[in-house]
Order: sequence, then structure tokens, then C-alpha cells
Amino acid sequence: MRRRIPEVFLGIGFIGIMSTLFLGLNWAPSVSIDAFESPAAQRIFYWHVPSAWAAFIAFGVLFVGSALWFFKRSPFGWRLHVAGTEAGLACGLMTVWSGCVWGAAEWGTPWDWTDVRLNTFGLLTLLALFLVLGRQSQPDGVETRDTFSTFGLYGFVLVPFTYIATRIWQIRHPGPVIGAGDDGGSLQSSMALVLLIGALSFTIFIIGHMMISMRITHLEQRLEHAQKRLDGGN
Amino acid sequence: MPASLLSLVDIEVRRGMGVVLNGFNLEVASKDVVVLHGKNGAGKSTVIESCARLLPLEKGSIHHHGSLVVDSEGRRSLAKHPFGLTLQSNGLLGDETVENHLSTVCSLSGMKTDLLPLLDAYGLAHRRYDRIGQLSGGQVRKVAVLAGLLPAMLSPEPRLVLLDEPATGLDESALAALSLNIRQLREAGHGFVIASHHPEMMKCATRLHNLESETLQEQPKAQPWQAVGVVENISLLSTRTGHRYLRSTRAGIARNGLTGLLVLGALLAFIDPVSLDKPLLVGFVLAAPFAAGLAGDPVVYLMREQRAGDWWRAHVNRLPAADFFAPILGFILSGLGSILFLDAFNWKLSLIGAAVLWVTLLCVRFIELSTLRLARPNAVFIRLLLPILILPWALVVEYTATL
Repeated sequence: MRRRIPEVFLGIGFIGIMSTLFLGLNWAPSVSIDAFESPAAQRIFYWHVPSAWAAFIAFGVLFVGSALWFFKRSPFGWRLHVAGTEAGLACGLMTVWSGCVWGAAEWGTPWDWTDVRLNTFGLLTLLALFLVLGRQSQPDGVETRDTFSTFGLYGFVLVPFTYIATRIWQIRHPGPVIGAGDDGGSLQSSMALVLLIGALSFTIFIIGHMMISMRITHLEQRLEHAQKRLDGGN
Repeated sequence: MPASLLSLVDIEVRRGMGVVLNGFNLEVASKDVVVLHGKNGAGKSTVIESCARLLPLEKGSIHHHGSLVVDSEGRRSLAKHPFGLTLQSNGLLGDETVENHLSTVCSLSGMKTDLLPLLDAYGLAHRRYDRIGQLSGGQVRKVAVLAGLLPAMLSPEPRLVLLDEPATGLDESALAALSLNIRQLREAGHGFVIASHHPEMMKCATRLHNLESETLQEQPKAQPWQAVGVVENISLLSTRTGHRYLRSTRAGIARNGLTGLLVLGALLAFIDPVSLDKPLLVGFVLAAPFAAGLAGDPVVYLMREQRAGDWWRAHVNRLPAADFFAPILGFILSGLGSILFLDAFNWKLSLIGAAVLWVTLLCVRFIELSTLRLARPNAVFIRLLLPILILPWALVVEYTATL
């Protein structure tokens, strides 16, 4: 049963995400039509915000994995690094894509190169893409792991920077609606509930995703080790 | 007791997923010729490259002339005395002339000499002014070997020489010259670490080392080498700023210059400048230097040839880079852009364009150099990270439009 835990997480997370989508599109109340250019498009937030939340969790795992490999030479740390990059890429792309859809409807443009939040988050996603593609292009070895772990460590600087970006420079991306303090934005309880279900579902899903990813990396390493033994190496 | 030229203290080096050297110790003193002769993959080249500061250490430290040059804590210092280095992959740029490369080696040693007799001994005198790219494989190897021996040939003080498979590709006369030079230089007090299986090189050894144990070997007396160098501090500014490489290869024009001109041309092809407002026009003017900067440092690009960058990295802390070329090209491209889009030369915009290209190039260079340690640095998708430069560029454009 313990071997099935990742699949269980993935399944529960998937059902939760689908429920979030259903509730967000059909049950949650609409926003004020005066405050938004395109009020209906706002419903994509029930996808956008939880996926961004899950992306931050994945980038956090990437940071921890990179640090464990870089400073402790921990194979477990490298597996965390790989899982964090893959999950970060998946969630980052979901966030960027949904943000672009909303931006196109609300702002009239899917992207703004002068908005700090958009650019730093976009770069985080590109960093994850770079790490995934880069790792596939290189033979596994200490040189590869050291280089990509360094990128993982330094890249994490962007996470707090992205988080505070809208608090310092609010250019296009809206400011925080949760945890913004007394004078910040506020959400109706039903909206907050759907967002909460979304955040929980994405979190469970991404944990399952990373556990499976770590298992696959472990199997890849065992396969490579077995091949080396067949080649006559150590 | 002879002076210690090199000491490796309990070093551990990993390559790929394996530990190549584990707890390895080596002491090389004046008049030592240590020939490393283990089987393939035993770690001979790893020893040479570690001594040249090219590989990070997992454990231990390496000292040249008693001073730390690299250790497992990440400390990396320049060797206080010049040393000779011949990499297995030569480390030469095809666009340099033979004379240019050897003169650079002399300059790094703070000396000069008449190169002709040295070149003559290796049958290269007639190739002195030829580009390395025009030479045969064997001749290129001779240049690399001679460049490795030069710091010792120039100096009356003991120097360390690291040679990785120096005999590979050499003809009989060059091999005889190399053996003779090694014996003469050893007699003059210089120390060698040579990775080779070649019988001729093994005959030169005072210590044969198979990376586990070593055997001492007596050497007959030889005529000591008379140092041929004259102390002269020659500025390496032209080389370190990449000017010399860019002048001979025109790589800067080919990569960055043409990229900038193509962007200008493309913008002009479909857009009528008269119909646009000022911020957009400023953006168009500064787009050319920005794109030229994104093309990357042309000198770093050249340095990828035959691991020339590694050869430089062993000797200096900062690789040659297009430091002068970048702002000049940025100034020219922005000046041209301001004439085309704003109908008049704008010196302020040109200066900002120079800064844009220089800073962009600096960032791209930093990102590219950070992947040099990878097994296949050209295969990595490093340019995926460059969009981060668009935001500061856009902010510069916005600011410049207000001037």
C-alpha cells in the first residue's frame, strides 16, 4: 500500500483540481462588473492562483534539493532537485498560460515586459525549463549536478522577489488579495473557499507528482548503474 | 633539499559519477620528472587538470611553490610563479598565429625572447606567422608542447611544467627535441608532471607513477638548459580585452555587429519612423545594441575552440573578453539607429546604447561561463534565461524617452 501513496496523492489532487474548476466556473459568485474589464475571465484565477502556489512549493523543493546536493552531495537531494524542476515547470507553465489568458481578456495584452511580477515569475518558469532540458542534454555526473544545483540555489532568490514584487511595484499584475493586511484586498467567503480547495488540491497533486518523479529518477539511476556494471565499470 | 614546486595533499576529484582520485598525494620538487602512466581512465589527465586549477576538489588542496592555488573549500588563487601547461586538447585558438600565441605565453611569464631558434628546433620556423588553424594536427601539437615548455625555457628560476600526452602526434625529430628539452630543463632545476604512455617520455622520468605507486629511475647527466628569457613586463591589455582576437577574426563584427544591423534593417523594413511616437522610436534605436549584446561575447565564443578557454582559465582568473569592443559597437549601432529613426545623430542615445550593449554582453557572458564545466556546454539551453534582460532594457527605454 505504501508504494501506492504517490498515486493516491495524484488521484486525490486531480479530483480536487477538477472540483475546483467546477466550483470556480459554476458555483463561485462573479466579481463586480465595474471593477473589471472582463469579469467572466476572472474565474481563471481559481486555476491561476493555486497553480502559482504549487509552483512556489515546487521551487522551494528545488532549492532544498539543490542545497542538499551542492553542500552534502546527497543523492536524495539530487532526486528532490529533479522532482522540483519538473513540478515547477509544470505548475509554472500552468500559471503563466492562465495568466496570459486573463491578461489578454482584462488588459488587452497577454504579457507586459515592464511588469516585475510577470517577468520574475516568467523567469522562474524558464529556469525550470532550462534545468529540465539542460539535464536531458548532459550526461549525468558531478559536473552536471553541480552546475544545475548552482542555478537552482541562485534561482530561488527570485521566489521571495516575485512574492514581494506586487507590494513594491504594482505595474500591471494585481496586488495581493490574501494576506494583504487590513487595507488590502478581500475575498467573499465562498470565493476564498474555492481558492482554498484549489490550493489544497494543487498541493496534494504536486506532492504526488514529485514523489513519482523521485521514484523515476531513482529507477533511472539504478538502470544506469546496472548498465555501467555491464560495461565493466564500478 | 630541492624546492617544492607542486604538492597535492590528499586530493579527491570526481568526474562524471565516479571518484577518479581518492586521497591522492604527490610532491614534485625541482629536478623531478614525474611521468604518470596508469591505464586509460585511471586519472592521469585529471591530475594534470587539477594541478592547473581546472577541476574543483572534493577534498584536499594543491599548492604551487608552497602557495595554495586550489582547495576543496572553493579557494582558487593564481599561481605566484608562471607554469607551463599543455592540455590534451591543445587549448589553442585557430585564428591566432604561432608567434602570437607563444608571445602571449612569454607575456604571461613577464618575459620576452627570440622565438625563432625555439621554433626551429621543432621544425616550425617557417610557420611562425601562420595561423594555428592552417597547421596540420602534428604541427598544432608542437605549438601546444612548445607553449607548455616556454615558461621553463625562459626562466632561470625553477618552474613547474604540466604536460598531458605531449608525445601524441609528434614526429620523430620533434619527439627527440622534446626529450632533449625535458632532460636539459630538468638539469636546470625545473620540475615536470607528464601524463603519457609513450616509451620516450617514460625514459625521461625520474619517477614513474601509476597513480598507486611509483618507481624511481636514474637519469644520466645532461647539459643544463640556459634560460633564454629577458625580463620585460609586456602589457596583455590587447589580449585580455579580446582586441587581438577580434582584430584577427572579426568575430565581433560577424556575430554582434551583424545581429545589430539585421535588427535595424528588419525594423526599417516594415515601419515608417515618421508615424511613431518617441518612446517607440527610442526602443527601436536601443533594440539594435540590445540584440547585439544578446548574441553573446564573441571572445568567449572563440575560446570554446580546442578548450582555449580552459588554457586561459588555468593561467588567469578572468578570461579575455570583448570589453572595449562592446561599448564601441553599441555606440555605433545606436548612433546609426538615431540617424535612421530620429533623423539626427544623438550622442546621449549613443552613449546609452553603448552602455546597453556592454551590460547585456556582460550578463550573457556571466550566464554562459557558468555552464562551461558541463560535459556538453553547447547543448545546454542557456539562452532560455535571457528574457530576464528584457525588463531592465524596457525600463531603460522608458527612462531614455523622457530625456
